[in-house]
Amino acid sequence: MDKSQREKEFLDSIKAHQNIIHKICFVYCRRKSDKEDLYQEIILQLWKSYPSFNNRSAFSTWMYRVALNTAITMTKKNWLFTETDKLPDISAENENMMELSEEIRILFKAISQLEKVEKAIILLWLEEKSYEEIAETIGITVKNVSVRLVRIKAKLADTIKKLQ
Amino acid sequence: MKDIDLETYKSAWKDERGFDHRVLSETEIKKVLNKKSKSITSLFRLGLTIDIALKLILGISFIGIIWLFFNDPGVIVLGIVSIVMIVSLLIFQIKTYKKIPQEKGHPESLRNLLESKINFYRLRYFKSVYIVAFSNPLIFISGMLYYFYFKYGEIRPLQIDDYLVFSAACIIGFAFGAFVQIKQYNFQIRQLEVCLTEIDENTINELTLKKLNKQRLRVFVIFILVLVLGLLLLTLILS
Repeated sequence: MDKSQREKEFLDSIKAHQNIIHKICFVYCRRKSDKEDLYQEIILQLWKSYPSFNNRSAFSTWMYRVALNTAITMTKKNWLFTETDKLPDISAENENMMELSEEIRILFKAISQLEKVEKAIILLWLEEKSYEEIAETIGITVKNVSVRLVRIKAKLADTIKKLQ
Repeated sequence: MKDIDLETYKSAWKDERGFDHRVLSETEIKKVLNKKSKSITSLFRLGLTIDIALKLILGISFIGIIWLFFNDPGVIVLGIVSIVMIVSLLIFQIKTYKKIPQEKGHPESLRNLLESKINFYRLRYFKSVYIVAFSNPLIFISGMLYYFYFKYGEIRPLQIDDYLVFSAACIIGFAFGAFVQIKQYNFQIRQLEVCLTEIDENTINELTLKKLNKQRLRVFVIFILVLVLGLLLLTLILS
Protein backbone atom coordinates (compact mmCIF):
# COMPACT_ATOMS: atom_id res chain seq x y z
CA MET A 1 0.00 0.00 0.00
CA ASP A 2 1.51 3.37 -0.97
CA LYS A 3 1.66 6.39 1.33
CA SER A 4 -1.29 8.31 -0.13
CA GLN A 5 -3.49 5.21 0.01
CA ARG A 6 -2.44 4.58 3.62
CA GLU A 7 -3.13 8.21 4.49
CA LYS A 8 -6.56 8.07 2.86
CA GLU A 9 -7.42 4.90 4.78
CA PHE A 10 -6.20 6.50 8.02
CA LEU A 11 -8.18 9.70 7.46
CA ASP A 12 -11.35 7.75 6.72
CA SER A 13 -10.95 5.69 9.90
CA ILE A 14 -10.28 8.79 12.00
CA LYS A 15 -13.29 10.59 10.55
CA ALA A 16 -15.49 7.61 11.37
CA HIS A 17 -14.26 7.37 14.97
CA GLN A 18 -13.63 11.00 15.91
CA ASN A 19 -16.09 10.90 18.77
CA ILE A 20 -13.75 8.52 20.65
CA ILE A 21 -11.05 11.20 20.69
CA HIS A 22 -13.61 13.86 21.69
CA LYS A 23 -14.71 11.71 24.63
CA ILE A 24 -11.13 11.15 25.83
CA CYS A 25 -10.34 14.87 25.56
CA PHE A 26 -13.60 15.59 27.39
CA VAL A 27 -12.61 13.34 30.29
CA TYR A 28 -8.96 14.46 30.57
CA CYS A 29 -9.12 18.21 29.87
CA ARG A 30 -11.07 21.14 31.21
CA ARG A 31 -10.17 24.07 28.97
CA LYS A 32 -11.04 24.25 25.31
CA SER A 33 -7.42 25.05 24.36
CA ASP A 34 -6.15 22.01 26.30
CA LYS A 35 -8.72 19.82 24.60
CA GLU A 36 -7.46 21.04 21.22
CA ASP A 37 -3.84 20.36 22.24
CA LEU A 38 -4.65 16.85 23.40
CA TYR A 39 -6.82 16.24 20.34
CA GLN A 40 -3.93 17.14 18.03
CA GLU A 41 -1.45 15.07 20.02
CA ILE A 42 -3.73 12.02 19.86
CA ILE A 43 -4.15 12.36 16.08
CA LEU A 44 -0.35 12.67 15.71
CA GLN A 45 0.32 9.63 17.87
CA LEU A 46 -2.32 7.62 16.03
CA TRP A 47 -0.68 8.52 12.72
CA LYS A 48 2.77 7.60 14.02
CA SER A 49 1.47 4.31 15.41
CA TYR A 50 -0.71 3.52 12.40
CA PRO A 51 1.90 1.26 10.72
CA SER A 52 1.70 -0.99 13.81
CA PHE A 53 -2.09 -1.40 13.45
CA ASN A 54 -2.52 -4.88 12.06
CA ASN A 55 -6.29 -5.41 11.92
CA ARG A 56 -6.06 -8.12 14.58
CA SER A 57 -8.23 -5.95 16.82
CA ALA A 58 -10.97 -3.54 15.79
CA PHE A 59 -9.79 -0.08 14.77
CA SER A 60 -11.75 1.47 17.65
CA THR A 61 -10.07 -0.82 20.22
CA TRP A 62 -6.63 0.06 18.90
CA MET A 63 -7.62 3.73 18.82
CA TYR A 64 -8.72 3.67 22.48
CA ARG A 65 -5.40 2.15 23.46
CA VAL A 66 -3.20 4.70 21.67
CA ALA A 67 -5.43 7.65 22.60
CA LEU A 68 -5.56 6.73 26.29
CA ASN A 69 -1.80 6.10 26.34
CA THR A 70 -1.33 9.58 24.89
CA ALA A 71 -3.76 11.29 27.26
CA ILE A 72 -2.20 9.70 30.34
CA THR A 73 1.46 10.15 29.37
CA MET A 74 1.08 13.66 27.98
CA THR A 75 2.30 15.73 30.88
CA LYS A 76 2.78 19.43 31.24
CA LYS A 77 4.39 21.59 33.87
CA ASN A 78 1.43 23.93 34.21
CA TRP A 79 -1.93 23.17 35.76
CA LEU A 80 -3.23 21.44 32.64
CA PHE A 81 -3.13 17.82 33.72
CA THR A 82 -2.66 18.26 37.43
CA GLU A 83 -5.32 17.12 39.81
CA THR A 84 -7.42 19.69 41.57
CA ASP A 85 -9.83 19.62 44.45
CA LYS A 86 -11.93 22.33 42.92
CA LEU A 87 -14.79 21.43 40.64
CA PRO A 88 -14.34 22.70 37.10
CA ASP A 89 -15.84 26.07 36.36
CA ILE A 90 -18.31 25.16 33.65
CA SER A 91 -19.11 28.67 32.52
CA ALA A 92 -15.52 29.80 32.05
CA GLU A 93 -13.77 26.65 30.98
CA ASN A 94 -16.29 24.46 29.27
CA GLU A 95 -18.31 26.53 26.91
CA ASN A 96 -19.21 23.34 25.02
CA MET A 97 -20.53 21.70 28.20
CA MET A 98 -23.77 23.64 27.94
CA GLU A 99 -24.65 21.62 24.84
CA LEU A 100 -24.53 18.42 26.88
CA SER A 101 -27.33 16.82 28.86
CA GLU A 102 -27.66 17.33 32.62
CA GLU A 103 -26.61 13.72 33.36
CA ILE A 104 -23.45 14.06 31.30
CA ARG A 105 -22.51 17.31 33.02
CA ILE A 106 -22.92 15.69 36.44
CA LEU A 107 -21.00 12.64 35.25
CA PHE A 108 -18.19 14.88 33.98
CA LYS A 109 -17.94 16.65 37.33
CA ALA A 110 -17.78 13.31 39.13
CA ILE A 111 -15.21 11.83 36.72
CA SER A 112 -13.00 14.90 37.07
CA GLN A 113 -12.53 13.93 40.73
CA LEU A 114 -10.95 10.59 39.76
CA GLU A 115 -7.25 9.79 39.26
CA LYS A 116 -5.87 9.49 35.72
CA VAL A 117 -5.90 5.69 35.56
CA GLU A 118 -9.32 5.52 37.23
CA LYS A 119 -10.61 7.85 34.51
CA ALA A 120 -9.30 5.48 31.85
CA ILE A 121 -10.96 2.46 33.48
CA ILE A 122 -14.34 4.15 33.91
CA LEU A 123 -14.20 5.56 30.38
CA LEU A 124 -13.69 2.08 28.96
CA TRP A 125 -16.54 0.79 31.14
CA LEU A 126 -18.83 3.58 29.89
CA GLU A 127 -17.87 2.59 26.37
CA GLU A 128 -19.05 -0.94 27.16
CA LYS A 129 -15.67 -2.56 26.75
CA SER A 130 -15.33 -6.04 28.23
CA TYR A 131 -13.27 -6.66 31.38
CA GLU A 132 -10.75 -8.50 29.19
CA GLU A 133 -10.35 -5.49 26.90
CA ILE A 134 -9.99 -3.09 29.84
CA ALA A 135 -7.39 -5.40 31.44
CA GLU A 136 -5.44 -5.61 28.19
CA THR A 137 -5.51 -1.86 27.57
CA ILE A 138 -4.40 -0.89 31.08
CA GLY A 139 -2.06 -3.83 31.71
CA ILE A 140 -3.71 -5.33 34.78
CA THR A 141 -5.51 -8.62 35.44
CA VAL A 142 -9.22 -9.17 34.72
CA LYS A 143 -9.78 -9.80 38.43
CA ASN A 144 -8.10 -6.52 39.23
CA VAL A 145 -10.36 -4.75 36.74
CA SER A 146 -13.48 -6.08 38.45
CA VAL A 147 -12.22 -5.12 41.93
CA ARG A 148 -11.23 -1.66 40.79
CA LEU A 149 -14.45 -1.04 38.91
CA VAL A 150 -16.45 -1.78 42.06
CA ARG A 151 -14.33 0.76 43.93
CA ILE A 152 -14.42 3.41 41.20
CA LYS A 153 -18.18 3.05 40.69
CA ALA A 154 -18.74 3.48 44.44
CA LYS A 155 -16.56 6.59 44.40
CA LEU A 156 -18.40 7.93 41.37
CA ALA A 157 -21.85 7.22 42.85
CA ASP A 158 -20.84 8.92 46.07
CA THR A 159 -19.66 12.05 44.22
CA ILE A 160 -22.80 12.15 42.05
CA LYS A 161 -24.97 11.86 45.18
CA LYS A 162 -23.20 14.88 46.64
CA LEU A 163 -23.57 16.83 43.39
CA GLN A 164 -27.31 16.23 43.04
CA MET B 1 -31.13 10.25 49.69
CA LYS B 2 -31.85 7.76 46.90
CA ASP B 3 -29.21 5.31 45.61
CA ILE B 4 -27.42 6.23 42.41
CA ASP B 5 -27.94 3.94 39.45
CA LEU B 6 -24.79 4.33 37.33
CA GLU B 7 -26.42 2.41 34.48
CA THR B 8 -28.63 5.48 33.86
CA TYR B 9 -25.50 7.57 33.39
CA LYS B 10 -23.97 4.89 31.22
CA SER B 11 -27.01 5.01 28.92
CA ALA B 12 -26.88 8.81 28.86
CA TRP B 13 -23.19 8.59 27.93
CA LYS B 14 -23.99 6.17 25.11
CA ASP B 15 -26.83 8.28 23.73
CA GLU B 16 -25.12 11.64 24.09
CA ARG B 17 -24.76 13.38 20.73
CA GLY B 18 -22.94 16.45 22.10
CA PHE B 19 -19.59 14.69 21.66
CA ASP B 20 -20.07 14.68 17.91
CA HIS B 21 -20.58 18.43 17.62
CA ARG B 22 -17.12 19.16 16.25
CA VAL B 23 -16.14 16.80 13.46
CA LEU B 24 -12.92 17.78 11.74
CA SER B 25 -12.77 17.67 7.99
CA GLU B 26 -10.12 15.69 6.11
CA THR B 27 -8.19 18.90 5.38
CA GLU B 28 -8.20 19.87 9.07
CA ILE B 29 -6.91 16.43 10.09
CA LYS B 30 -4.19 16.65 7.43
CA LYS B 31 -3.10 20.00 8.88
CA VAL B 32 -2.80 18.39 12.34
CA LEU B 33 -0.59 15.64 10.89
CA ASN B 34 1.96 18.27 9.84
CA LYS B 35 2.25 19.75 13.34
CA LYS B 36 5.00 18.99 15.83
CA SER B 37 4.31 16.65 18.72
CA LYS B 38 4.32 18.19 22.20
CA SER B 39 5.04 14.94 24.02
CA ILE B 40 7.92 14.63 26.47
CA THR B 41 9.59 12.16 24.07
CA SER B 42 9.54 14.67 21.22
CA LEU B 43 10.91 17.43 23.43
CA PHE B 44 13.70 15.16 24.58
CA ARG B 45 14.49 14.13 21.02
CA LEU B 46 14.72 17.80 19.99
CA GLY B 47 17.00 18.65 22.93
CA LEU B 48 19.27 15.74 22.08
CA THR B 49 19.46 16.76 18.39
CA ILE B 50 20.48 20.30 19.38
CA ASP B 51 23.14 18.94 21.74
CA ILE B 52 24.58 16.60 19.08
CA ALA B 53 24.81 19.57 16.67
CA LEU B 54 26.43 21.74 19.36
CA LYS B 55 29.01 19.08 20.21
CA LEU B 56 29.88 18.71 16.52
CA ILE B 57 30.51 22.48 16.34
CA LEU B 58 32.60 22.25 19.52
CA GLY B 59 34.66 19.44 18.01
CA ILE B 60 35.36 21.60 14.93
CA SER B 61 36.20 24.53 17.18
CA PHE B 62 38.83 22.46 19.06
CA ILE B 63 40.34 21.35 15.73
CA GLY B 64 40.64 25.08 14.98
CA ILE B 65 42.36 25.63 18.34
CA ILE B 66 44.94 22.91 17.60
CA TRP B 67 45.61 24.55 14.24
CA LEU B 68 45.97 28.04 15.75
CA PHE B 69 48.23 26.95 18.64
CA PHE B 70 50.26 24.48 16.61
CA ASN B 71 53.49 25.51 18.37
CA ASP B 72 52.10 25.12 21.88
CA PRO B 73 52.26 21.43 22.96
CA GLY B 74 50.15 22.09 26.08
CA VAL B 75 47.22 23.44 24.04
CA ILE B 76 47.58 20.63 21.49
CA VAL B 77 47.27 18.05 24.28
CA LEU B 78 44.28 19.96 25.67
CA GLY B 79 42.68 20.08 22.19
CA ILE B 80 43.22 16.36 21.59
CA VAL B 81 41.85 15.45 25.04
CA SER B 82 38.79 17.66 24.40
CA ILE B 83 38.17 16.17 20.95
CA VAL B 84 38.45 12.61 22.28
CA MET B 85 36.01 13.54 25.05
CA ILE B 86 33.57 15.20 22.62
CA VAL B 87 33.66 12.16 20.31
CA SER B 88 32.96 9.80 23.25
CA LEU B 89 30.10 11.99 24.45
CA LEU B 90 28.72 12.20 20.91
CA ILE B 91 28.73 8.40 20.63
CA PHE B 92 26.81 8.17 23.90
CA GLN B 93 24.28 10.80 22.77
CA ILE B 94 23.72 9.10 19.40
CA LYS B 95 23.18 5.75 21.17
CA THR B 96 20.73 7.46 23.55
CA TYR B 97 18.91 8.98 20.58
CA LYS B 98 18.49 5.54 19.07
CA LYS B 99 17.14 4.19 22.37
CA ILE B 100 14.41 6.82 22.81
CA PRO B 101 11.14 4.88 23.26
CA GLN B 102 9.58 4.77 19.81
CA GLU B 103 6.12 6.19 19.34
CA LYS B 104 5.61 4.15 16.19
CA GLY B 105 4.50 0.96 17.89
CA HIS B 106 2.59 1.76 21.06
CA PRO B 107 3.08 -1.12 23.52
CA GLU B 108 0.11 -3.34 24.13
CA SER B 109 -0.77 -1.88 27.51
CA LEU B 110 -0.56 1.44 29.29
CA ARG B 111 1.46 -0.17 32.07
CA ASN B 112 4.16 -1.39 29.65
CA LEU B 113 4.35 2.02 27.99
CA LEU B 114 4.76 3.82 31.31
CA GLU B 115 7.36 1.32 32.49
CA SER B 116 9.44 1.60 29.31
CA LYS B 117 9.31 5.41 29.39
CA ILE B 118 10.22 5.66 33.08
CA ASN B 119 13.08 3.15 32.74
CA PHE B 120 14.48 5.05 29.77
CA TYR B 121 14.30 8.46 31.45
CA ARG B 122 15.57 7.28 34.83
CA LEU B 123 18.43 5.11 33.55
CA ARG B 124 19.55 6.61 30.26
CA TYR B 125 18.20 10.14 30.27
CA PHE B 126 19.87 11.27 33.51
CA LYS B 127 23.31 10.35 32.16
CA SER B 128 22.46 12.21 28.98
CA VAL B 129 21.50 15.34 30.95
CA TYR B 130 24.99 15.57 32.45
CA ILE B 131 26.52 15.04 29.02
CA VAL B 132 24.41 17.91 27.67
CA ALA B 133 25.60 20.05 30.59
CA PHE B 134 29.24 19.21 29.73
CA SER B 135 28.87 21.40 26.64
CA ASN B 136 28.88 24.53 28.83
CA PRO B 137 32.43 24.17 30.28
CA LEU B 138 33.67 23.08 26.85
CA ILE B 139 32.17 26.21 25.26
CA PHE B 140 33.81 28.31 27.99
CA ILE B 141 37.23 26.69 27.51
CA SER B 142 37.22 26.96 23.73
CA GLY B 143 35.91 30.54 23.91
CA MET B 144 38.65 31.42 26.39
CA LEU B 145 41.37 29.94 24.14
CA TYR B 146 40.05 31.81 21.06
CA TYR B 147 39.95 35.01 23.11
CA PHE B 148 43.59 34.56 24.16
CA TYR B 149 44.64 33.89 20.58
CA PHE B 150 42.89 36.86 18.97
CA LYS B 151 43.70 39.27 21.82
CA TYR B 152 47.29 38.26 22.68
CA GLY B 153 48.29 35.70 20.05
CA GLU B 154 49.27 33.29 22.87
CA ILE B 155 48.13 31.86 26.20
CA ARG B 156 49.03 34.45 28.81
CA PRO B 157 50.69 33.15 32.00
CA LEU B 158 47.91 32.51 34.46
CA GLN B 159 47.97 32.99 38.25
CA ILE B 160 46.40 30.68 40.79
CA ASP B 161 43.40 33.01 41.21
CA ASP B 162 42.84 32.93 37.41
CA TYR B 163 42.60 29.15 37.61
CA LEU B 164 40.15 29.43 40.47
CA VAL B 165 37.93 31.87 38.52
CA PHE B 166 38.03 29.76 35.33
CA SER B 167 37.36 26.55 37.24
CA ALA B 168 34.45 28.16 39.07
CA ALA B 169 33.01 29.35 35.73
CA CYS B 170 33.28 25.81 34.31
CA ILE B 171 31.67 24.22 37.38
CA ILE B 172 28.87 26.81 37.50
CA GLY B 173 28.26 26.35 33.76
CA PHE B 174 28.03 22.59 34.19
CA ALA B 175 25.91 22.69 37.35
CA PHE B 176 23.52 25.31 35.94
CA GLY B 177 23.08 23.36 32.69
CA ALA B 178 22.36 20.12 34.54
CA PHE B 179 20.06 21.81 37.06
CA VAL B 180 17.90 23.46 34.39
CA GLN B 181 17.57 20.23 32.40
CA ILE B 182 16.78 18.10 35.44
CA LYS B 183 14.21 20.59 36.71
CA GLN B 184 12.61 20.76 33.29
CA TYR B 185 11.91 17.03 33.04
CA ASN B 186 11.69 15.88 36.67
CA PHE B 187 8.14 17.12 37.11
CA GLN B 188 6.92 15.28 34.04
CA ILE B 189 8.73 12.06 34.88
CA ARG B 190 7.26 12.14 38.38
CA GLN B 191 3.79 12.36 36.87
CA LEU B 192 4.47 9.24 34.83
CA GLU B 193 5.68 7.49 37.99
CA VAL B 194 2.52 8.49 39.84
CA CYS B 195 0.45 6.86 37.07
CA LEU B 196 2.51 3.67 37.19
CA THR B 197 2.22 3.54 40.96
CA GLU B 198 -1.53 4.04 40.58
CA ILE B 199 -1.76 1.09 38.18
CA ASP B 200 0.27 -1.10 40.52
CA GLU B 201 -1.75 0.17 43.49
CA ASN B 202 1.26 1.59 45.37
CA THR B 203 2.79 -1.82 45.88
CA ILE B 204 5.56 -3.01 43.62
CA ASN B 205 7.15 0.23 42.53
CA GLU B 206 8.36 1.58 45.84
CA LEU B 207 11.54 -0.52 45.71
CA THR B 208 12.11 0.04 42.00
CA LEU B 209 11.86 3.81 42.38
CA LYS B 210 14.26 3.78 45.34
CA LYS B 211 16.74 1.76 43.28
CA LEU B 212 16.46 4.13 40.33
CA ASN B 213 16.96 7.18 42.56
CA LYS B 214 20.09 5.59 44.04
CA GLN B 215 21.44 5.05 40.53
CA ARG B 216 20.73 8.69 39.68
CA LEU B 217 22.77 9.85 42.68
CA ARG B 218 25.66 7.57 41.66
CA VAL B 219 25.65 9.01 38.13
CA PHE B 220 25.67 12.56 39.54
CA VAL B 221 28.69 11.84 41.79
CA ILE B 222 30.59 10.20 38.89
CA PHE B 223 30.03 13.20 36.62
CA ILE B 224 31.12 15.70 39.29
CA LEU B 225 34.32 13.66 39.86
CA VAL B 226 35.01 13.59 36.11
CA LEU B 227 34.53 17.35 35.90
CA VAL B 228 36.86 18.08 38.84
CA LEU B 229 39.53 15.73 37.46
CA GLY B 230 39.19 17.38 34.04
CA LEU B 231 39.72 20.82 35.54
CA LEU B 232 42.78 19.64 37.47
CA LEU B 233 44.16 18.23 34.21
CA LEU B 234 43.48 21.53 32.46
CA THR B 235 45.32 23.44 35.19
CA LEU B 236 48.30 21.08 34.89
CA ILE B 237 48.43 21.41 31.10
CA LEU B 238 48.20 25.20 31.02
CA SER B 239 50.60 25.88 33.91
